[in-house]
Amino acid sequence: MTFSRYLENRWDDLLEQATQHVLVVILSVVIATLAGVVIGALTWRSDRYSGLAIGTSATLLTIPSLALLALLIPLLGLGWAPTIVALVVYSLLPIVRNTVAGLRSVDASILEAAKGMGLRPARVLWRVQLPMAWPVIITGVRVATQMLFAIATIAAYVAGPGLGNEIFSGLARQGSANALNQAVAGTAGVVILALLFDLLFVLIRRYTTPRGIRV
Amino acid sequence: MSVKTLDTAYQVTPSRWSRRNLTVPIGLIAAVAVLWLWVSSLNLDSIEARVLNAEAVRRAVVDHILLAVSATLLVVAIAVPLGIMLTRRWAKPLVPVVMALANIGQAVPALGLLVLLALWFGIGFKIALIALVVTAVLPVLRNTVVGIQQVDQSLVEAARGMGMRASRILRLVELPLAVPVMLAGLRTTIVIAVGVATVATFVNAGGLGDIIVAGIKLQRTPVLITGGVLTAVIALGLDWLGGLAERLLRPKGV
Amino acid sequence: MSEHGVRIQLDRVTKQYPRQPEPAVDNVSLDIPAGELVVFVGPSGCGKTTTMKMINRLIEPTSGEITIGGENVLALEPNELRTRIGYVIQQIGLFPHMTVRDNIAVVPRLLGWDKARITRRVDELLELVGLDPSAFRDRLPKQLSGGQQQRVGVARALAADPPVMLMDEPFGATDPITRDKLQNEFLRLQKELRKTIIFVTHDFDEAVKLGDRIAVLAEQSHVAQYDTPGRILAAPANDYVEGFVGSAAAIKQLGLMHVGMLTGLAELSATSGLPTVRSRENARDALDIMLRAGTSHVVVLDEQGDPRGVIGFEDIAGLLREEVSRVGQDA
Repeated sequence: MTFSRYLENRWDDLLEQATQHVLVVILSVVIATLAGVVIGALTWRSDRYSGLAIGTSATLLTIPSLALLALLIPLLGLGWAPTIVALVVYSLLPIVRNTVAGLRSVDASILEAAKGMGLRPARVLWRVQLPMAWPVIITGVRVATQMLFAIATIAAYVAGPGLGNEIFSGLARQGSANALNQAVAGTAGVVILALLFDLLFVLIRRYTTPRGIRV
Repeated sequence: MSVKTLDTAYQVTPSRWSRRNLTVPIGLIAAVAVLWLWVSSLNLDSIEARVLNAEAVRRAVVDHILLAVSATLLVVAIAVPLGIMLTRRWAKPLVPVVMALANIGQAVPALGLLVLLALWFGIGFKIALIALVVTAVLPVLRNTVVGIQQVDQSLVEAARGMGMRASRILRLVELPLAVPVMLAGLRTTIVIAVGVATVATFVNAGGLGDIIVAGIKLQRTPVLITGGVLTAVIALGLDWLGGLAERLLRPKGV
Repeated sequence: MSEHGVRIQLDRVTKQYPRQPEPAVDNVSLDIPAGELVVFVGPSGCGKTTTMKMINRLIEPTSGEITIGGENVLALEPNELRTRIGYVIQQIGLFPHMTVRDNIAVVPRLLGWDKARITRRVDELLELVGLDPSAFRDRLPKQLSGGQQQRVGVARALAADPPVMLMDEPFGATDPITRDKLQNEFLRLQKELRKTIIFVTHDFDEAVKLGDRIAVLAEQSHVAQYDTPGRILAAPANDYVEGFVGSAAAIKQLGLMHVGMLTGLAELSATSGLPTVRSRENARDALDIMLRAGTSHVVVLDEQGDPRGVIGFEDIAGLLREEVSRVGQDA
């Protein structure tokens, strides 16, 4: 079967898998962003704690994904749960690191001015620092998203959702007519999604960055 | 896996890493010891015992390290000369092209690449090695280029002004000063190689992926834990060695 | 024994970059006598550095001829040429991963000197620039202060005893006090070495202080005036040079005259309470001392510290008048 015929026949399935792939990545990135920004906001003042947070998330990122998934199965079983936890763990580093870097990059004189106007630290963080750090944070989120699209393929092996299933079933049917079609469709699908989201982030960054600091 | 994420991660806290100089290997050894004690205390059923026999585990560990290390060495052998070439004056127009290609290549999931190569060319160690090299080549390549480009141009000019030839400037000035950046890339390459080596099991290339996959298929927790912990230990251990190399090989004065 | 300088000639040298309407350096001719320190001074972007870099061919001239000691530099192999020209830049450019010794040894190694000779030379040069060899030989550049780094930079440029040195704002990045010190040391060094030096700066005062001659350069490295500091101060060739000399030209000129140049010192009478000045100090210092002490006269002391006579405001003004008229006659 030619690749185009294959695409025609399996379009609905592929679309569903792609949707699930996107969904699991988005869900994980949203959770990781919330967690990462909170961790960053709590630790950025201290070299020690932010170093600890960044060092720990770097260490976690070093662990191969299949190994992490294996270690999560006894706790969470198969499917979406270990997938999402693993993906969240992997996206922490870029998000935490960029949050810390972004919050630190805010000019001290601006913070002093805010304080001088009588804003409480929490309010300074929320109203001044986070908006100013946002372009840097969103870059971290973008890096994390790129990474997750690739890692999520492996999650298919623990019954996770997404285009990884296509690749694995291609592998399983090695020798059959559709094996290569499936592997190509899965791999190319992931690449296309990753590149599309990369473009999307350019827009997200543009429209979520406060106007005064857009470049 | 994103290269940028990984290598900048290590640039953030070099001093902290050096203080944890020995805590990492000690912690890893302790983790292996605890794992061993725990597994030996269990009453393994026949399936578990078959997967977790000492010889099989040893083989998986050796294969895994062999795969990751040979891929890393190949990457260095390919990417360093290529990176140096790209920084030569005549190759300047090529740099954006190569980097754009490499960046798009980064979006290709390692698993997909591995499976495609296997379907095209067959399974086994060699195919896994090729997939590993392709996936892990970018950090060393990019950091070689960036490392040489970031060398203070006034130093290059001073060297030229003293009458040093381009080859000598490369050898005595540019390369030594690029070493720290190149080593940071090497460390990232190691991490990626160890990670992708885990997936090599899917193309019958051995390694600790075998044990993990057996654990998932057989639904045996001790097998899963053993595979997962050993893989993590190797990844962190090799990364630690990479960090050590980063500190030891960094030229004094930089 | 070190090699003295040789003559450098630039003959209608032009640098035209591709896709630029005007040449960066346009038709420059200069004759730099052997053993002199010539300062190229001009605003940034005027092409002074480009002109200098064409001499060691870091930039290739588009047309024109450059000779060093009668030898056409364009006929020489560029790297071979550069090992014979000392080169000092503002960023100093010490190699951070090499010790002081290895930095200084770069060119001698290029020339294939043996180890013992290199060691001797390194120590000799460190002493020459006022750094204790045993203390500094094995240090890394980051373990040196800015001034010490610059001294090592000069030592490195002198390593193979080149007859010619090119210096591109070498003291530009140092603080005023260090800069003054480095300038004085450098003058003393040059008195001994008599190299032919081309020194680029945008600081006119530095040019006056260091230069045997100054080439005031305008856009495209056009030579607005090429003369001794004294004559440029006394008789600027045109408005451009006058603008560059800036205000207080007379005061700057006093800085070039030794008190000892004054003849016919007044008799020593009632000198008690007057401030003193040594005869080798310059007229500007003498004036400064008078102004600060609130007196109209100052006692001149000879090298031994014995009083030689008294000078006053009128003497200094007279000295300046004489100089101006002398320069006027020359011109």
